Amino acid sequence: MGIFQGGYTGKFLHVDLSDQSIQTKPLERDFALKYIGGRGFSARILYEGLRAGVDPLSPDNILVFATGPLSGTPLPSASRLIVAAKSPMTGGIGDASSGGYWAPELKYAGFDAIILKGRSATPVYLWVENGKAALRPAEHLWGKRIDETSKLLKEEIGDEDIHICAIGPGGENLVRYACIVTDEEGVGARTGMGAAMGSKNLKAVVVRGSLDVKIADPERFQGVIDAYRKTLEGEVWTETLRRLGTPNLVAHRQKLGIWGARNFQRATIDDWEKISGEVFREKYLVKAMGCMGCMVRCRRYSAILDGSANLLYMKGPEYETINALGAKPYIIDPAFILRAHYLCDEYGIDEHGAASAISMAMELYERGILKKAEVDGEELVFGNGEAFLRLIEKIVYRKGFGDLLAEGTRIMGERLHADYYAIHVKGSEVDASDPRSMVTRALTYSVATRGSCHLRGFPYIDEFIKPEEGLKYFGTAAVSDVKALEGKGKLVAWSEDWITVANLMGLCIFAWYRSRTFSMLIKRGLELVTEAYVAATGLPMTQETLLRCGERVYNKEKLFNWREGMGREADYPPPRFFDEAMPDGAGKGAHLDRGDYERLLDDYYTARGWDPVTGCPTPEKLEELGLDESGR
Amino acid sequence: MAKQRVGYFEDREDPEAQCSRCRLCELICAFHHHQVGNPRRANIKVIALGKGVDIPVVCLNCGDAPCMNICPTGALYRKERDGMVLVRSDVCIGCSMCVSVCPAGAITLDLVEGTAAKCDLCGGEPQCVAYCPAKVLRLTDAESVSGKRMRTFARSLVCQQEA
Repeated sequence: MGIFQGGYTGKFLHVDLSDQSIQTKPLERDFALKYIGGRGFSARILYEGLRAGVDPLSPDNILVFATGPLSGTPLPSASRLIVAAKSPMTGGIGDASSGGYWAPELKYAGFDAIILKGRSATPVYLWVENGKAALRPAEHLWGKRIDETSKLLKEEIGDEDIHICAIGPGGENLVRYACIVTDEEGVGARTGMGAAMGSKNLKAVVVRGSLDVKIADPERFQGVIDAYRKTLEGEVWTETLRRLGTPNLVAHRQKLGIWGARNFQRATIDDWEKISGEVFREKYLVKAMGCMGCMVRCRRYSAILDGSANLLYMKGPEYETINALGAKPYIIDPAFILRAHYLCDEYGIDEHGAASAISMAMELYERGILKKAEVDGEELVFGNGEAFLRLIEKIVYRKGFGDLLAEGTRIMGERLHADYYAIHVKGSEVDASDPRSMVTRALTYSVATRGSCHLRGFPYIDEFIKPEEGLKYFGTAAVSDVKALEGKGKLVAWSEDWITVANLMGLCIFAWYRSRTFSMLIKRGLELVTEAYVAATGLPMTQETLLRCGERVYNKEKLFNWREGMGREADYPPPRFFDEAMPDGAGKGAHLDRGDYERLLDDYYTARGWDPVTGCPTPEKLEELGLDESGR
Repeated sequence: MAKQRVGYFEDREDPEAQCSRCRLCELICAFHHHQVGNPRRANIKVIALGKGVDIPVVCLNCGDAPCMNICPTGALYRKERDGMVLVRSDVCIGCSMCVSVCPAGAITLDLVEGTAAKCDLCGGEPQCVAYCPAKVLRLTDAESVSGKRMRTFARSLVCQQEA
């Protein structure tokens, strides 16, 4: 393919579902160099392809499946897919990431990205193989859960080795926080990408490929693989991930007292040992799995007995599974967590979306704001797992009270006049932890372009950065003090640009970016990534330029949100984090201070070169990033 | 020297000592042999059987190798040093008879070259073995395989009695 020596396939697949037309267009060199891939591709395509005010569930929305230049190469853990569209949850930029095997397979099938618009009159799936694509009828798949969908597609195509990205009934029924699922296992959960896909009558995108992903300089690339492997040796974080997966964080959350349990009314869990990483390992783990090429293998594969003595097998759980399905509704039972997790994945809904909606309803019920008759006669108190499972079904099929729950907490808050209890930022629910006692977490979650997100920056970077490193990189040793406000704007802005680079390249944040030393973050997440990009593509790149690409993409996403009317006011944590102190645990008594937060936000906007009043990128910043006044 | 091959050794009791389906063996094999990213040009393949069972399949290096026996041009031959069956690409005519008779499905026609492709032990240092994160792939010979199998079998007898 002409202009690229390696890494990129150089081709985008464009599909208009309304008139069923399919086109292949070249990826231009300048586009690649400025936006790299993944979230860079999607941010630009969505910003330039959509206008303000488009209904995310209308045919006008654009759905992007994007890989990075390193996807499909033998670089370990270059497995991540980015699925993006205008978000049905936030009304701003939406994207979700899924590991596994799908993104590399799209490269082997000959494309860097798929861009879909319009809406098919009847359900279809997209079949992509070695540079060709076709839309095929999917009436027979509509209504089917994820496992069944995969089984039928594998039978129909007659190949076990196809890779499938599908929606379940959740996406079909436009549950706002519906997710996409790759290969029955990898979930692109947040921001409602499954609903965006369902609104297009698109059941699945199925890929198979046997084309080479070329490497411009194989010898140099081999050097990067080996250097990366060396960084994993003796890395405690890597060993912990392999042994326990992300559920290792359960003990950590308890120690810090940042669970966000009971819809953020509790910071700790009384019987937390019942749902620790060790319990999930000892009782349910079948084995440690790896996404494509992964040397870390944090992915869990677990099994539980279902009601009739059959084993239910599933990928997971993640720490986030345990937080969403255990802590939020306060159901401290590992078997329940796995059962609910299995259901959410099979139906194709985001666990945090579903759990946040039900947990908010539980609080409203306990406070008497919701009456029994309004919640379909359920005794909807915290800890009621059976009611939780019944409501999951109702959400997916939008029956009874489930129809409101399927809208997510922001809309629930509006309809029930109970905004205060909706714990979200920009419409996307707070996940991962309660950031009340930690300013870096609070700022990272709140300014994240896709709505509350712990993966948009590095929210606990201040827990281990050394004072001298803080001084060197951010101009102040204070960034290593978790309580201090000083320097945090710059720290958060840098973390966002840096993490964005992972999402541009198709790399896994956990395998590549996570470490407990700042020097390793720089070594692995910037130095080696730059080297890998140059070796794979043969294109010129420096660490500074790459970080600048991350910044450009972040600004582009911000411009998208700004155009949709999200200014400074959209970058605040939920009021509960200001008004109520942490009730228990290590952070007991802590809450965010409004004045402090205003200063943090000013500091962050200043570091970003954004107007502190409006929160919009300034013309000077746009010029610096090589974007014109309209952000193009 | 004993006849060598890449063997798969798992421990069903240990969640980390099993094939984790990361497919790094496939990636690294294709990269080593062709300098590209493309698992379908690898000489080893992880077969996902569901329910957490994933098995890497690679040339068994049969003693009485059907691929070698059936080859009409003599393109397949056995190397002295490690006893591995190798392909002379310039002699291979791509008839795929070897593909039809291989008991493991471990010999294929390369998608680009069109000639027979199989594990060559990377000249003695198999890259899949070097990179396998679970360390379940090992360079081995028939004797050590049987020794390992005997141990597993013996242990299973004891476990049954205990149960």
